[in-house]
Amino acid sequence: MIFRRIGGAALVLLIVVALNFFLFRVMPGDPLSGMMDPKLSAEAKDKIRAMWGLDKPLGEQFFIYVGQMATFNFGMSMTTQRPVWDELRSRVPNTVALLLPALLLSAALGIYLGVKAAVARGSLTEKLVIWSGAVSFSVPSFFVQIVLLMCFAYTLPLFPLRGSSSIPPPVGATAVFDYLWHLSLPLISLVALSFGGWALYIRNMMVKTLGEDYILMAVARGLPKGRVVWNHAFRSILPPVLTMLLLSLPGVVSGAVLTETVFSLNGAGSLLLEAVNSHNYPVAQAAFYIMALLTVLCNLLADLLCALADPRVRLGGEQA
Amino acid sequence: MPQILKFNRRFAASFAAVVLFVCSPARASGASNFDVSNFRGPKMTDLYYVVMRDADAQTMAITSGKLDVLGDIFRAVDVERLEKSGLVDLSMAANFHGFFVTFNTRKFPFDHKVLRQAASQVMDRINWTRDLFSGYAEPASGFIPEISPYFDGDAKALSYDAEAARKRLRDAGWTWNADGRLTAPDGQETPHIKILCPPSSVAATSTEIAILAAEGLSKLGMSAEAQPMDFQTMLARVDERDFDACTNAWSMSRDPDLLYAFYHSSWKDIKGAYNLSGVADDELDAALLSLRNAPDEASAREAAILSQRLLSELVPVVPIYSRYSVAAIRKDWDGVYANDRVTSDNLYTLLSMTPKGAKAGETRPIYWNIPEEIRTLNPLVSGTAYDWTVLGSIYDSLISVNPENFEDMPWLAESWSIETGENGSILTFTLRDGLKWQDGFPLTADDVAFSLEFLKKNEVPRYFDSVSDVERVETDADARTVKVYMSNTSYWHLHNIGGMIILPKHILENVPDWRAWQPTNTRHKAADGSDMTELVGTGPFIFKESRVGEYVHMTRNPFYMLSGGEDKK
Repeated sequence: MIFRRIGGAALVLLIVVALNFFLFRVMPGDPLSGMMDPKLSAEAKDKIRAMWGLDKPLGEQFFIYVGQMATFNFGMSMTTQRPVWDELRSRVPNTVALLLPALLLSAALGIYLGVKAAVARGSLTEKLVIWSGAVSFSVPSFFVQIVLLMCFAYTLPLFPLRGSSSIPPPVGATAVFDYLWHLSLPLISLVALSFGGWALYIRNMMVKTLGEDYILMAVARGLPKGRVVWNHAFRSILPPVLTMLLLSLPGVVSGAVLTETVFSLNGAGSLLLEAVNSHNYPVAQAAFYIMALLTVLCNLLADLLCALADPRVRLGGEQA
Repeated sequence: MPQILKFNRRFAASFAAVVLFVCSPARASGASNFDVSNFRGPKMTDLYYVVMRDADAQTMAITSGKLDVLGDIFRAVDVERLEKSGLVDLSMAANFHGFFVTFNTRKFPFDHKVLRQAASQVMDRINWTRDLFSGYAEPASGFIPEISPYFDGDAKALSYDAEAARKRLRDAGWTWNADGRLTAPDGQETPHIKILCPPSSVAATSTEIAILAAEGLSKLGMSAEAQPMDFQTMLARVDERDFDACTNAWSMSRDPDLLYAFYHSSWKDIKGAYNLSGVADDELDAALLSLRNAPDEASAREAAILSQRLLSELVPVVPIYSRYSVAAIRKDWDGVYANDRVTSDNLYTLLSMTPKGAKAGETRPIYWNIPEEIRTLNPLVSGTAYDWTVLGSIYDSLISVNPENFEDMPWLAESWSIETGENGSILTFTLRDGLKWQDGFPLTADDVAFSLEFLKKNEVPRYFDSVSDVERVETDADARTVKVYMSNTSYWHLHNIGGMIILPKHILENVPDWRAWQPTNTRHKAADGSDMTELVGTGPFIFKESRVGEYVHMTRNPFYMLSGGEDKK
């Protein structure tokens, strides 16, 4: 049955590959339409079009594109004339270094607080978690980040105002600390902005689960409270939590545009946004292809892990 | 709109008071005392172009000393904040930006000249500009930038007068039906007009102006509305000529020959060309052709004036405003240069800036903001203004522009001439003596000839329009004189060729593929045997290193022609 899942995933990927090509061509405008420069004549624009192979028939462009996706040779960026892989390599590590810890920390904090709130129903702890969760979930990120920047990088200069390294950058081991120092404030802001969603989600699921008969039974059997909460109740909500966590992983690569802008970070989010806005087909296609690939893989992984985490879940109808 | 008005009015007084002190009291005339020899430098050894995107973070950085120079300030709130800090000097200057409402003259009703003239009279550009920009833009009335040496003050768009506009229409036989809808002399009722514009989330003032323009048209008895849409969609619609009217902004230049691209009828139906309005008029075409092919400066000026006067009568577009440039520089720097046409973030400041109270020879790094990351430093394919901020401190051209009156000024070429030969214009440039590339090799007329021939042979799109008419290039034995023979006659060849960057032959002739050339990643031997990147020009700063999305580090060029000689080896 796992092969059926893999086959389905491959089909999804093929559809995404085709859509990835045609959607960008259906969008209004082309890479040249934004070049409104009176010093660049229509003839000069045609030269640029030819340079990028956009003068070829659409079918030919599609076959070239499919070949590129299949071989992971994504060609050159239209705006920088650098290989797309170089573009991604210069951006994705920064993004992953920021967003992966942000995801894991906010999930861990949210799960912990959500469980605590569900266990202590009606208490001040629960109210605090719900309020802070709602605030974290609903405030605009750029506002929070600008305020943090103003408070902790400007008024009280504990953190840097910009970027992922000092200028000039330090050398040796100091460079690692310098890098971590630069990522600290963006990381804190992202955790502060994301834990709320997790906390509210987990609390709601846990409240429902803790009211189930089998939990009452476990308590009646005299099991320790911690074991009941974590081994019984939390374990039963683990599959959706794992699914949510794994499906958040592709977002770790796609970046956070606003965070990158506020903190002047060189990340994948602004690359992707700029690629879409400027119709930079090779970069946009490669980025969406990789994200689709990651999403499909994470989905498969989530299915597998859910089966491991919950014996009731079996792939492909084994229960039948 | 009310919010914007409230916002800007609050800052209007302080803005004007704060900014104007650096600028001369009156706009510079044609005369200029500017002497480039007063700017010996650069005096500082290290320059960092620092990438900071967010406007709030930029103002925090310059007031906390993390930045020294900040250009492109466009929010009044930032100006007020910077002024309050007392830590920076602000400068404001008119520039080549122009914002227009464009009519599609290909179809009814804007195919009627009298209607366009009347529509121009209900566009209250003075009050709109005051209300929306509060002192950091000026109402525009011409078809080329008012700071251009070729601007004709008598060829202005009609002033706001709604009553006069209705009378103009009435006199021309236009009537109003029972519902008050404007009707053409042939009985055709004016249709509902949509003015395309970007959404307010992208360009709030553009949307506001489209709304105000629609309100203005309603004063003529027309039904009109602003139609905000995704910017790319709007450009595609305009490119397909599928619109009634639209807002659009141009970054223009000092030369009026761009009027040919904007308004000559040969461009009206070509996709990707810039005659968006589709105006087609024989007399205008003849004037624009004379402008493009003017053999000398006097005939170019004459044709420019005639073209502008015809445009002010034909009104294919209504000029609305021109934005000012605003820049800030920390007060702890001396040697800042600015005037009413150039803000302080310019080459001359870069050359002469020194820390206040510093001893002779004392140096510290300059941190200069760029709001977007550098895309590429390959000068053959770079397109963005920010790429060229960096490249502009590396490469030079044969002639430059006087920052006081925007007229030609010697640069790599100490003199030049333009004459008309058998087949077209002949440009003769004589290079300064002793020019050197940043790697220590001499710059000769061969480099100039090679640059032009390379760009023409490879049809490099960015330079295609400038070099496509180059017939041949000859150099004299003295290695300082270069003659460029053009295949047709045009005074503007002088600016197109003279304003183009000159590239080093000894590097470019070894580049296997100019499209994929990454000059910052490939290295070569300098004259003294040291290792250098291939990003070599003649400008004041040498590329040292860059971190994508972070900064570009430059160091002083000891061979720079304005360095004063003390550093030259």
